[in-house]
Amino acid sequence: MEKLPPYACGSSEHGMSRRRMLGTLGGAIGFGSLLQPTIAEQIRNHGKRVCLIWLDGGVSQYESWHPLPESKFAGPFRSIKTSIPGIHFSELMPHTAKIAHKISVIRSMETKDPNHSSGVPRVQRGDPLDRGVDYPYLGSAIAKLAGPANPELPPYVWIKPGNGGFIHREAGFLGSKYGALALGDGKPPVHIHRPDSISAEIDDARNVLRQKVNERFKAYRHASEIDAYETSFDLARQLMARKDIFDDTKLSAKDQDRYGSHPLGRHILRARQLLEAGVRFVKVNSYHWDTHGDNFNMSQRLVPQVDQPFAALINDLEDRGMLDHTLVIVMSEFGRTPIINSRLGRDHWPDCWSIGLAGCGIKHGAVIGKTTKDGAFVDGEGYDIGHLFHTIFTLLDINPRKTNYRHKGQKLAIANDECEPIKEVMM
Amino acid sequence: MRAYITICILQCACLGWSAEHLHQSIDRLIKTKAGGPIAGKSNDPEFFRRVQLDLAGQIPTSKEVRDFIQNKNPNKRAKLIDQLLANDTFAEHWTDRLSVMLLERQNLGKINDEDWRSFLIKQLKEEPRWDVMAYEMITADGKGDTRAAMRFLGNANHERMTKDIARLFLGMDLQCAKCHDHPSVDEWKQAHFWGLFAYLNQTKSATHSKNKLPYFVENLATKKVEFQSVFEAEKKSTGPYLPGGKEIDIPTFEKGQEYEKPAADGLPAVPKFRPRELMARELTSNNNRYFTRNAVNRLWYLMMGRGLSHPLDEVHAQNPPSHPQLMKLLMKEFAAHKFDVKWFIREIALSESYQRSSKLPQDAKQPDPALYITAHPKALTPEQLLRAILKATGNTKRVEALKADPNAEKFDRRGYFTGSHRELPSSYEEIKAVFMETFAQPAGQEEVEFLPGLNKALFLMNDRLLLSWLHPQGENLVARVNKLKDPKSISEELYFNVLGRPPVKEEIHIVSEYLEKQNSRRTEALGELVWSLLTSIEFRINH
Repeated sequence: MEKLPPYACGSSEHGMSRRRMLGTLGGAIGFGSLLQPTIAEQIRNHGKRVCLIWLDGGVSQYESWHPLPESKFAGPFRSIKTSIPGIHFSELMPHTAKIAHKISVIRSMETKDPNHSSGVPRVQRGDPLDRGVDYPYLGSAIAKLAGPANPELPPYVWIKPGNGGFIHREAGFLGSKYGALALGDGKPPVHIHRPDSISAEIDDARNVLRQKVNERFKAYRHASEIDAYETSFDLARQLMARKDIFDDTKLSAKDQDRYGSHPLGRHILRARQLLEAGVRFVKVNSYHWDTHGDNFNMSQRLVPQVDQPFAALINDLEDRGMLDHTLVIVMSEFGRTPIINSRLGRDHWPDCWSIGLAGCGIKHGAVIGKTTKDGAFVDGEGYDIGHLFHTIFTLLDINPRKTNYRHKGQKLAIANDECEPIKEVMM
Repeated sequence: MRAYITICILQCACLGWSAEHLHQSIDRLIKTKAGGPIAGKSNDPEFFRRVQLDLAGQIPTSKEVRDFIQNKNPNKRAKLIDQLLANDTFAEHWTDRLSVMLLERQNLGKINDEDWRSFLIKQLKEEPRWDVMAYEMITADGKGDTRAAMRFLGNANHERMTKDIARLFLGMDLQCAKCHDHPSVDEWKQAHFWGLFAYLNQTKSATHSKNKLPYFVENLATKKVEFQSVFEAEKKSTGPYLPGGKEIDIPTFEKGQEYEKPAADGLPAVPKFRPRELMARELTSNNNRYFTRNAVNRLWYLMMGRGLSHPLDEVHAQNPPSHPQLMKLLMKEFAAHKFDVKWFIREIALSESYQRSSKLPQDAKQPDPALYITAHPKALTPEQLLRAILKATGNTKRVEALKADPNAEKFDRRGYFTGSHRELPSSYEEIKAVFMETFAQPAGQEEVEFLPGLNKALFLMNDRLLLSWLHPQGENLVARVNKLKDPKSISEELYFNVLGRPPVKEEIHIVSEYLEKQNSRRTEALGELVWSLLTSIEFRINH
């Protein structure tokens, strides 16, 4: 019988330590620490990062990674040569075609859910076996499993159109502190800004006053709550001091040219800055990829918006020596139907679709996955989302077979027990 | 009060107890276990702030603290406790506490917040009995004057009801036991989950065909619930079954004899066998030690900041209570006193253990919180925090009176947090909502531990609304201290109002020094001094 964490320690030391709070959204005096401190420390010192570019609604594989112009399901776009001999992408991806030798493509994704409402959470949670709990989304999972890469910054930042703030719902059973700091339209929550009425000097002065009050209180008292509360202010001040990494006006014009001036371009550029600053996991969301009608005009407008900044990101990460330890993933909750419907659209298609991956031990220039001739189905075994999660964790040095979450005394596998890493995409 | 004493004497006589009151037994058992040095008695301001927060949900005013310090009556603490328990503020504050504990800020079902609160307030104003409240929540069907109690069962989702009743009324988090026996708690079996489920799976939400009000109705129970462990091939089944009890046979009736009342008055027929009602009766009976143990543990937690068994929903043999004898005694006495919540709270409040200082005794190392050597720090609830900030800064009256202007543009709360909506919230309702969004746990998550966070600290540092309360307005705190000259009276006014205690010399010195340094901007500097007290840990917790 394994002892539960709350009582295993047998002393007051199970309160929260400063270290456990650093780099989360805040301190819980929660229990159930996942890793031994020494292992956690090693992983933390390891600088591996992740950037997930999420094309919500479902990008069409035919108009991107897997064009198949000879197929009976092909659309009007040509396919173009890539930097890998014999491999073609859609002509809507000219920039990515030039860097194909730096990335990998999986063309045999075969997942289970054709609905947006259940498919998005299912895919972003890695489709684990049902254990009766709400699993965390990938960003919250990595925040928990790997911790912050830079303890002064939250480990999970989510750049999205629309509203931002502190969004907890993706953390699932891990609890609110593993939620995302969400930058709505690329902007940080308003409370990161000091109001105009308070100068930097006064801000320092008032915080010194606050610390003095606390010092006196602390002198006679020992409680983890007290440390956790002070730490939350330290974290807040550290984040305020790094406001520059959230500041749109600091983006260079040349960079903006290379990434594109549309929101997705600017958001991927912002993601690069955050990864450089030490954010462990950045998710960039783009919406409206659900092309049930007018798929071809929409793809013509949308696909270049990911093509250009994705290629720029890969090149920049490589130039900075970061690509070897930064995993970049471009994906959706499913692909789109081979059959073109009566509204010149493509519908939802989880049976055979494609994703792009790069960096952090992903092979250079591997294009894997056989499909039937016209691309409608996987020829042989497809890869489910559980396989992808095993791959991601393995690349981040988190052994998905040996690492478990612990929730309410229950050991929970971090990735679907029935899956394996996708070896052929890994170096 | 006299009635209480009479009852106590009678009960003591009947049950043959010694003359020791429960609060004295509490102290004896806590002391025995502590072994080493124990913190001294809290001083008057410390006790006064604590008991006001716990029983009225409020920090005290400066005048109240000063009067209490001056009061020479040796029984003043006991008298205060009785006063506070008799006040309406007790009912309102404990409605907040019980509501957050039982609903976890979820808004399920069709009973509105106001009606649900009235249900709890009414109970708490009269003689709140834990067993009666639980019985009414579990049996609620929409009929009679306790219809608002339906809110607890929400939308009558069978699994959720099962889990909530197990966690909140039995201290058992049976989440894991839905699919298999609990992997690490030996005594929690899958049959516990499905046994409780079998009491509830006939209940469903309905709308009255005429008055359109929500009701819970029951289908006819005819067979056991089947379940299967994900680890085993064998299928099992159970009828209604309570932990520690026996499985109940589902009776069979001759055709036509199943119902007690035929369908009438817009509602379906009422079966003779109504397992949910049976559950409520059996579950809340004073023979059910699971029920009593959970009740005692949760009320103890609300007063003492930590359950005797902690976490509160992990009450089982492998997580024994820190004080087993005390737990047993509390259970026995609580049941003997008919689950009288006020009596129980009063006994805790009277104990030295509750009234202990939060300061460490001399020579003590970092104490194990389970020993109650010092008072355990409790976070102010989000509701308490807003009230306390308004009261400390002298803005309560003005801000609580703010009503939304029906002609004004609607306040965009999300936009307020992202910066796209620049206007400050103009009504008290919106202000409350802004605070809840920042400080409350997301709906469906328990609010038990203190959870500081980055967003909360950023809010306290930079929220323009909160900072606006530190500008002199009317007779608020900054306006009042702005008229004072000498640092001592300024410091006293600040410390009494915000922290509920007099400042020490060193603190007067800090105030004086800061005002001197900032003398060209004195009013703002006073606001900053108030801010530093508001954001201190001493303010943020009930210590």
